[in-house]
Amino acid sequence: MRQRELVNHTEKINELLARYGVKFGIYKNNVFKEQLFPFDSIPRIIGHEEFAGLEKGMKQRVMALNLFLKDIYSKKQIVKDGVVPEDFIFASSGYLAECEGIVPEKSVYSHISGIDLVKGKDENWYILEDNLRVPSGASYPMIARELCRRSSPDTFHNNRLEDNRNYADLLRRAMDYVNVGGHSVILTPGRYNAAYFEHSYLAEKTGAHLATGSELIAENDRLYYISSDGEKERVGVVYRRISDEYLDPMVFNPESLIGIPHLFEVYRKGNVALINAPGNGAADDKGIYYFVPKMIRYYLDEEPLLLNAPTYLPFYEEDMKYVLENFDNLVLKDVAEAGGYGVVFGSSMTKEEKEKFIQMLKREPRRFIAQEVIDFQDLDTLDKGEIVPRKADLRAFVLMAEEPMVWKSGLTRFSRNTDSFIVNSSQGGGFKDTWVLYQ
Amino acid sequence: MTVLHFLYRMELKYEKHIGRCYFTIKCLPREDDRQHVLNTELFVLPKTTYSFGEDSFGNRQIYGCEHEDHNLFVFQISGDVEILQTDYEEKNRQEVTGLFQVPHGKCIPGGELLNYFHSLDFKECETSFQVCEKLMHGLHQDFSYVPGTTDVNTTAEEAWKQGKGVCQDYAHIYVTLLRLAGIPARYVCGLIIGEGASHAWAEALIDGFWVPFDPTNDCLVWDHYIKLGHGRDAADCAINRGLMWNGGAQSQDISVLVEKREQ
Repeated sequence: MRQRELVNHTEKINELLARYGVKFGIYKNNVFKEQLFPFDSIPRIIGHEEFAGLEKGMKQRVMALNLFLKDIYSKKQIVKDGVVPEDFIFASSGYLAECEGIVPEKSVYSHISGIDLVKGKDENWYILEDNLRVPSGASYPMIARELCRRSSPDTFHNNRLEDNRNYADLLRRAMDYVNVGGHSVILTPGRYNAAYFEHSYLAEKTGAHLATGSELIAENDRLYYISSDGEKERVGVVYRRISDEYLDPMVFNPESLIGIPHLFEVYRKGNVALINAPGNGAADDKGIYYFVPKMIRYYLDEEPLLLNAPTYLPFYEEDMKYVLENFDNLVLKDVAEAGGYGVVFGSSMTKEEKEKFIQMLKREPRRFIAQEVIDFQDLDTLDKGEIVPRKADLRAFVLMAEEPMVWKSGLTRFSRNTDSFIVNSSQGGGFKDTWVLYQ
Repeated sequence: MTVLHFLYRMELKYEKHIGRCYFTIKCLPREDDRQHVLNTELFVLPKTTYSFGEDSFGNRQIYGCEHEDHNLFVFQISGDVEILQTDYEEKNRQEVTGLFQVPHGKCIPGGELLNYFHSLDFKECETSFQVCEKLMHGLHQDFSYVPGTTDVNTTAEEAWKQGKGVCQDYAHIYVTLLRLAGIPARYVCGLIIGEGASHAWAEALIDGFWVPFDPTNDCLVWDHYIKLGHGRDAADCAINRGLMWNGGAQSQDISVLVEKREQ
């Protein structure tokens, strides 16, 4: 077995991860709790050819999503041509009217895209979700690989796998590509954020300044970083790890203490680039997901290379009929929720729950999508010294500079419960490294 | 041809001196197919640097930050606006207007507004324009103008429930009802001839063009109105948005004057 030696190091690596502060935090019942993110040392391995296929498909998808964002915040041709109903755009919580008419530097909207995929038992990969807002998670396989490499150098000598240490380079390139002149900054809400480890780690690896909102100031249509000696230094790009509604209290949520007043005006005038562009939520909405294959045909005049999970929109009468007839075989998702919340399986509901849900579905058909449950492959996972099968997905990362670039690794998340299909870290799952083999 | 002269002045007094305050002011009349801005003059105290821009609705804005210690902030703008004969030009035809069709912010109907809307009978209305008129007359009849009973945060539903309010509430309710009737509608902030405060009304999209109605006065908007901004609700085109720390109690004094220029 390729990774036997690594398995022996599992405990030690988890200890090191804990010491480095590789944790994530969640709010449960209004109490902030930090949890370790358990690492499983048996990697997911993807062959060269197989990954090349994924790479092509994901690049295509990200190109189309970028064109969609540019279109809906300007001409809205896709709506005029009747491909996407306007209801699905303007009623989406991710759509921001405040972004109308703004074209970000070099027309890049999604500089970093987190594409969630699963591999079905039928050997096909399926796209589950596009994350175009602030996708997190790249740092986990980065540091895990670093530690594994240290504890078992031979494993990496003997296996022909792609080095994943270049993520920082890819990120740096994505930032430099849109930098309008000045420092690169990673904007963090601070150490109480679930992904703070990642913010500081990526800042260190890319050489960007790690800053909170209070260290940045918008003045005379420019953004400045206030250095430790009080000097103001121009900022050209901000990789912001705070969500749209907290970015600028003068435009969005006025209660925000982590944002920067008037940042949005600096951005509107093109004097700073924001990674990712605000308003991207309009393209990674679960309802819009249904339309991505149509977007690929519409904007690129190509057939989609990667499959969506079969999805139904109760918004359409025909689909509603199908959903009601096949309720027990479907998974229903609330389009407004994320992180594995708002996901219910038709088969797991009691009779009363089902009736209640169907009532809600009929009242607000726009709010839900229904998908066939994909029976995805199990991965070998260590549980108390034994190897057991567990459900796992893959978050792959596509970064954008002149061309989209796919990171040859990714975050593999697995469910710690035998039957659960939900692998999100906020639901208590663990993670694996993802190996991509070269020839 | 009508030329209106206007003056808008706002004074903000703080109980304590404040060190830093950010402001965004949307008080410059828009340039559009029914008005042309001839000149404007701006005065801001304390003396500070500010920028000009446009928000995503095309509303003109002035924004900046006051760093000096101060306990009085004054903003005054005056100018002349030529009111034009509206000529519905083909190039201004609106195609995608879902943004002004979906419920949003202060204009989300609750149970009471929905009940009211469903109690109305539109059988005699043959055109969208007639639907707009019917809703306006109905609202004027069923809602009373009583200042001091609502504030800037009052929603359409809340105002409707209590049956009284001011122009902002009329406009919010009207916009909500129009959207329920399937007519895209936007909230308008502006000034009206006379002395007093700013005014609010609404625009309905009829056959691809925006037509302004004033539900507070139960009439169509004519050459006594200057439009400052529009949006989905009042928050999108609020005249003043500020952010300050530790100012203590504050008082706000606003004066508005609009008069016809002799030709």
